[in-house]
Amino acid sequence: MEGRGHGGRLVSTRLVFAHLFAVAMLCPLTTRLFAQGDTISFYKALDLEASGKYRDAAPLYRASLHSAASVNALLGLERVYAELGWTDSLVAPLDTLIAADPREETYRTVQLRTLQSLARGADLQRAFDRWVHDMPNSPAPYREYARLLLDKNQTASADSVLALAGKALGTTRDLQLEIAQARAAEGQWLESAHAWREALIAGDYFAQAAAYALAPTPPSSRPAIRDIFLAPPIEVGPRRALADLEATWGSPADGWTALRDLPADSAAADAWGEFATRAEADEQWAIARSALVSMLRWRRTPDVSIRAATAALNAGDPAAALQLAPLADAKGDSAVAARMYLPIHARALAALGRAADAEQLVAAYDRFLAPGERDALARTVAWGWVRKGDMTHARAALAAAGASGDSSDAAGWLALYDGNLKTARTLLRGGTESSPELALALGLIARLKADSAPAIGHAFLTLAKGDTAAAVTAFTAAAANTPTVRSLLLATAAHLLAVQHKDADAVALWTRILDGDPTAPEAPGAELELARALRRQGNAAGAQSHLEHLILTYPESALLPQARRELELLKSTIPPAG
Amino acid sequence: MTNRSVLRMVARSALLFVLPMVARAQRLLVPMDDSQSDHLKAYGLTYHAIKAGASAEWLLNYRGGSFLLADTPEIRREAGLDGVTYEPVNDSRLADIRSEIAANNMESVPLEKAPRIAVYTPPDALPWDDAVTLALKYAGIEYTPLYDDEVEHGDLTKYDWLHLHHEDFTGELNKFYLAYREAPWFVDLVQKNTAAAHRLGFANMPALKKDVAEKIREFVERGGFLFAMCGATETLDLAIAAHNVDIADTYIDGTPMDPNADAKMDWSKTFAFRNAHLEMSPFVSSMSDIDGHQVNVPGRRQPLGTFTLFNFSAKFDPVASMLVQDHRAVINDFYGVTTSFNKSVLKPGVTILANEEGAPWVKYIHGDYGKGTWTFYGGHDPEDPQHGIGDQPTDLSLHKNSPGYRLILNNVLFPAAKKKPLKT
Repeated sequence: MEGRGHGGRLVSTRLVFAHLFAVAMLCPLTTRLFAQGDTISFYKALDLEASGKYRDAAPLYRASLHSAASVNALLGLERVYAELGWTDSLVAPLDTLIAADPREETYRTVQLRTLQSLARGADLQRAFDRWVHDMPNSPAPYREYARLLLDKNQTASADSVLALAGKALGTTRDLQLEIAQARAAEGQWLESAHAWREALIAGDYFAQAAAYALAPTPPSSRPAIRDIFLAPPIEVGPRRALADLEATWGSPADGWTALRDLPADSAAADAWGEFATRAEADEQWAIARSALVSMLRWRRTPDVSIRAATAALNAGDPAAALQLAPLADAKGDSAVAARMYLPIHARALAALGRAADAEQLVAAYDRFLAPGERDALARTVAWGWVRKGDMTHARAALAAAGASGDSSDAAGWLALYDGNLKTARTLLRGGTESSPELALALGLIARLKADSAPAIGHAFLTLAKGDTAAAVTAFTAAAANTPTVRSLLLATAAHLLAVQHKDADAVALWTRILDGDPTAPEAPGAELELARALRRQGNAAGAQSHLEHLILTYPESALLPQARRELELLKSTIPPAG
Repeated sequence: MTNRSVLRMVARSALLFVLPMVARAQRLLVPMDDSQSDHLKAYGLTYHAIKAGASAEWLLNYRGGSFLLADTPEIRREAGLDGVTYEPVNDSRLADIRSEIAANNMESVPLEKAPRIAVYTPPDALPWDDAVTLALKYAGIEYTPLYDDEVEHGDLTKYDWLHLHHEDFTGELNKFYLAYREAPWFVDLVQKNTAAAHRLGFANMPALKKDVAEKIREFVERGGFLFAMCGATETLDLAIAAHNVDIADTYIDGTPMDPNADAKMDWSKTFAFRNAHLEMSPFVSSMSDIDGHQVNVPGRRQPLGTFTLFNFSAKFDPVASMLVQDHRAVINDFYGVTTSFNKSVLKPGVTILANEEGAPWVKYIHGDYGKGTWTFYGGHDPEDPQHGIGDQPTDLSLHKNSPGYRLILNNVLFPAAKKKPLKT
């Protein structure tokens, strides 16, 4: 067992941030340049550099060194010399520039960088000493030198420089960022987190850097890191960093815990917005909704309320969706209501089984709808009726959608519920929907040669109505009459039972599959589920026996890796999951 | 051509002539090159075959160090369950294989007796934080955990093969005291070890651990096979060399370290190292200058590279060959409390099995000691190069072709090899 941390992993991170620092440094200087206006040579040099003509750009940058654009020219020269491998040619101009303006920090920083890249250690130390001598009260020399050493993974040397700064300046308040990086590189996670907290209060844009640096913290130290960032007073920077860290540690939901207590202001709204965007991209709808609802506390905008309602809908909370984006937000503008709010409301009402309300609402805004929008909403309403199992109204709603309704996913499902496999096959295959139910339906109708199967249609309809117990009976009954897909229907029924934790009944159906159709495609899956159910019941020997049978009987099955893993866990030959 | 060469040629020709008649039964070839789907389980399969009394051979340097097993329903079943790749081999194919082995730097070594395996580990330790127990568990190879009480009561005589991993045999708990003295797991560790020392009649932890180290030394001297990794390698030799010297600081045993400890170390009985220098500061998390990487000392820590396995003559140096059988010659390095061994402190006669090209350290070493042998492998976990305290354990089902873990399992199997008369 080791006591050290993961300092080595930070090298690339540091390099990334070194570049970020360089870019950050450039921005204000460029602004200054534009304010002053400057030589044509400098602009030409920039163009030449941008087109990769470094050899031509170099003399022009040199010519601009003593103009008002000197700082930017020096940075340009540093870049093109690095590309050309002429970094040593930068030493002499730097000496001249520093002699002319000893207080310009950028000259000094470039000088340190140059001497380090030339591996001239003694000169580097002298340059640092001279800078300290010329600006004894400035943290800049210590900061820049420490950064260079950290970039080179010379953590102990960087530490010495920071200690020197503490002595010379009487405080390391302005060097918390470097201290944080040094402590992280040494694996001193808690000390690093304390320093990061200080640095983040000064500038919350370091949140991502802090998350990178602290990401390798071992699990045993993570609670203490959380305590440091969550400690009062509540500050946006540390909380953002912790939210990023939690995402890196695999728990974005805990990241929301870090952000939810922020007092509502513009900085907090930014943090919530950033978090929500990430959660939406990851389809973490519940926490996306929470973040968006917090944003609404700060400022209510139609865009955010629609996003919050969509997140609620996707998180399975249609009632909340109706409240988050009320039609009243359209402020009486029916066109806006129809375009932005109506689709959410229709979907939410359909999901709540309030198909009639959805239909009424769509009808009320009908004259504000474009044809495409109308068809889409008609399909939504039809889907609401399908969810209620009201086929008559569903058909009527689809008829209202015109031709597009006839070819919609909903029409495909209606055909399936009618047992009309021929139509269902065509419409569902070409549909845009994607769901486990669709995969099951497609798998089933692909294996059935018949064009009609009312019993199967009835089973799917029962399932759509949400009557799982009746659906189990219907699928089991359908299995008795359709031997070609018997095992698939039984597996579906068993799956429904397993979801309801009715393991004993599910086991009976899986056993029927194994006994009756041992060569069916569902047999390996049934045996795997059977083994899992036995394990849950505490019958380890039975589970092992079935897993071994599965592995040896179906060596080509795609489920083999899962079966082997289950067997390993059962025999405790690998660490328990989680 | 020398007489010996002529004799060897005649012997090979005779072998080729005789084998097709003798080897009638079909065999199972367990390839260990890239065609193998689970290298680690293949060792378990072979171990179980030997234990069940089935014939087994280790084909050194043949397709990554393959195994040739009897073709029995039980072996086929286990291979199928474990996902181990095997190829049925008939007489004609077997003759071809033997011919290829005879003509190249390869050898066939019969494997006869499954070694009785013990692992020195605290009674309440889980198998997941020790690379060897992880590998043994995954491969399904049975082992007996034992600790100070069992060693002190003489139980080592019951085993052929002993593994050590975490232990700091100097009794200083890897100098983690300063960093972890308030961590619950560390407090528990100190309490249990101190209680064990008192229970077994020793004044303190260092005294107990030094005596345990001495008993392990005697185990090897009597003919035992020792395999150690991580900090156990370095501290075992330090404990043996410091048998009569106080090298533990006050916070561990209540008395200061002998200021002349470095000069008083007696390296005559150690396994691998000599003339190493102790780290005298209790504030520096390092035991000595044996380790090349010094992972827990920020100013000294060396970056990880790769290490290369040596290619030995399979016919003339079968033991070293067995220990380096692998489907990769170059392997990514990994840290441990002791990651590597500086060449400058190796005893003469130590066999270097793997080194890092251009570096002053080596990774994997082996040697004879009395009637037994020892092997030291630096680092903690070949598939978690920067493993830290509290990190998630490695799941070997995700690393079933790990070349670094193969080296561990080579060590488990090589004591099963039948001793052949030396050819030189």
